[in-house]
Amino acid sequence: MSDDTREFIETLRSTGDLLEIDEEVSWDMELGAISRLACEKDGPALWFKSIADYPEDVSVFVNPMATWRRVAAAFGVAPTSSVKEIYQEYERREGKLIPPVTVDQGPCKEVRWVGDTLDLFNLPAPMLHDGDGGRYIGTWDLAVSRDPNTGWVNWGMYRFMVYDSTHLTGFPRPTSHLGKVFQDHYVTKGKAMPLAIVIGADPLSHFAAAATYHLGGDEAALAGGLRGSPVELIRCETSDLLVPARAEIVIEGEVLPDRVALEGPYGEYPGYRTGEMGNGILFRATAFTHRRRPILTVDATGYKDDSSTITAMSGAVAIKRRLERHGVPVVDVYVPPEGAVHLAVIGVQFGGKEIARKILETLTSRRALLSKIFMVETDVDIFDIGKVLHAFSTKCHPAHGVHAVHYEGRANTLTPCYSQGERAAQKGATVLFDCTWPGEWSRQWEVPVKATFDSIFPESIRQKVLERWRGYGFNQ
Amino acid sequence: MASTNEPKIWETFVRRPTDLAEGAETPLVLRDLNPGRRKYGMRHVVAIVSQKKEDLPQMDILRVRTVVGILLPEPRGIKILHELPIELPGQAYRDFFTALRAAAEKRE
Repeated sequence: MSDDTREFIETLRSTGDLLEIDEEVSWDMELGAISRLACEKDGPALWFKSIADYPEDVSVFVNPMATWRRVAAAFGVAPTSSVKEIYQEYERREGKLIPPVTVDQGPCKEVRWVGDTLDLFNLPAPMLHDGDGGRYIGTWDLAVSRDPNTGWVNWGMYRFMVYDSTHLTGFPRPTSHLGKVFQDHYVTKGKAMPLAIVIGADPLSHFAAAATYHLGGDEAALAGGLRGSPVELIRCETSDLLVPARAEIVIEGEVLPDRVALEGPYGEYPGYRTGEMGNGILFRATAFTHRRRPILTVDATGYKDDSSTITAMSGAVAIKRRLERHGVPVVDVYVPPEGAVHLAVIGVQFGGKEIARKILETLTSRRALLSKIFMVETDVDIFDIGKVLHAFSTKCHPAHGVHAVHYEGRANTLTPCYSQGERAAQKGATVLFDCTWPGEWSRQWEVPVKATFDSIFPESIRQKVLERWRGYGFNQ
Repeated sequence: MASTNEPKIWETFVRRPTDLAEGAETPLVLRDLNPGRRKYGMRHVVAIVSQKKEDLPQMDILRVRTVVGILLPEPRGIKILHELPIELPGQAYRDFFTALRAAAEKRE
């Protein structure tokens, strides 16, 4: 397993999932356009070695885990593993927490800029899309904050925009763990919240930061569990927060409770720039440390970015756990990359109105990130979107099979179909499509028989056909 | 080499078209479009904005983007009157533009 970004780059080089670009590129949209197209083509991770306006010793590594091959590489399993196998690997590891260890020295301290010497423009933060509010530096990051009452430390992946040489603005959603701790424990007391923005740690630490994880959960220990070894943490220069010692770059500072600046708009993971602008937070930097020859890590956000694999997978497993706890007969959950973390496929042993209601209640009670759910039975491979679409098209009753719940104050403000007014009020809805047969229908007399090879022939015929398949003249 | 009299180009974001009143002192967030490392650095100002052709030769150029980042086709002229602080008094997660207007009014 990779201990840091540099080891991960080596791993990707060995699996053929890395493109190194030596030609000089501009940080002003050219890098973003290359990276966006690479994402949409399921291309490799990109390592830009020469950035216009910046010295040769600073480089940019983009889209670390935006394909399943690279997620598999980060987990140390075969890059050819199926999506289902990668999900199962994550499920196996996420329950085995390994707490971090603290160290006194680490490469993230090789170069230090504190106080008046720090200048955030020394980092080649890219202007990723034309029309974004600014240059975004925190797209593949790990933001460390602490609940002052309980001491709970939160890691999260949140976007940050360069404002001037010492300020960033950000938009951790108000309902996010960081947003909640900041509002509940710092804004109410008028206190600034210490924050460390870590860029370029090991890939599974970023995975843990981006993971859908419960409030109060220890993402550093989750990262250790996923890696199979503890993450080494080191103290910040200007606060007592601890950060991964082998990170490329650490920006330290504080989020101000009573000061604001413009944040956004920004082309986000749903694949749109929705107009979320001017409702964020303001961060004042106090120090900035980095490795020699630092590598800035970036997620070229938009359709099929890194969230479409890692946030989707951790979200799916978190949904499964919650539904299990609430008594839903869930078998498996899949959040497909094409659904931009807005759509989930939930496999159940049996469906129906009551199960639909329970799922909707469970998944929208605190914050509602999903807006569409397909509920299917075990005859459907939830990882095969073609099969899911077939079930939806044929089994979901257009009147009785559609269940919706409306809410206010907890909707996903980045959901493109919401109006700007709805987004401001965090008002939205989630719809569940019940693609299961009604429980009261008789399997012998009423439930239609699926006309597929696996379902409509006796075992003896299927076996015979499979055995003789090549003999008939088929190549595969 | 560019002449020192050449107008500077700025860009701003507004929520709605009416946020740019013709000829009135208007608080704005501006970003610097000069090439180089500091491109897209932000500042807060009070400025006069105009679309009148006769005003434009004496003014810098202001490009305007909408809330979803679309660049409006017609640039305006802008004359910066004074600077506002980067850290504007206001509450986190509350509307930045309200805080910007309040800071401008307070200065008056």
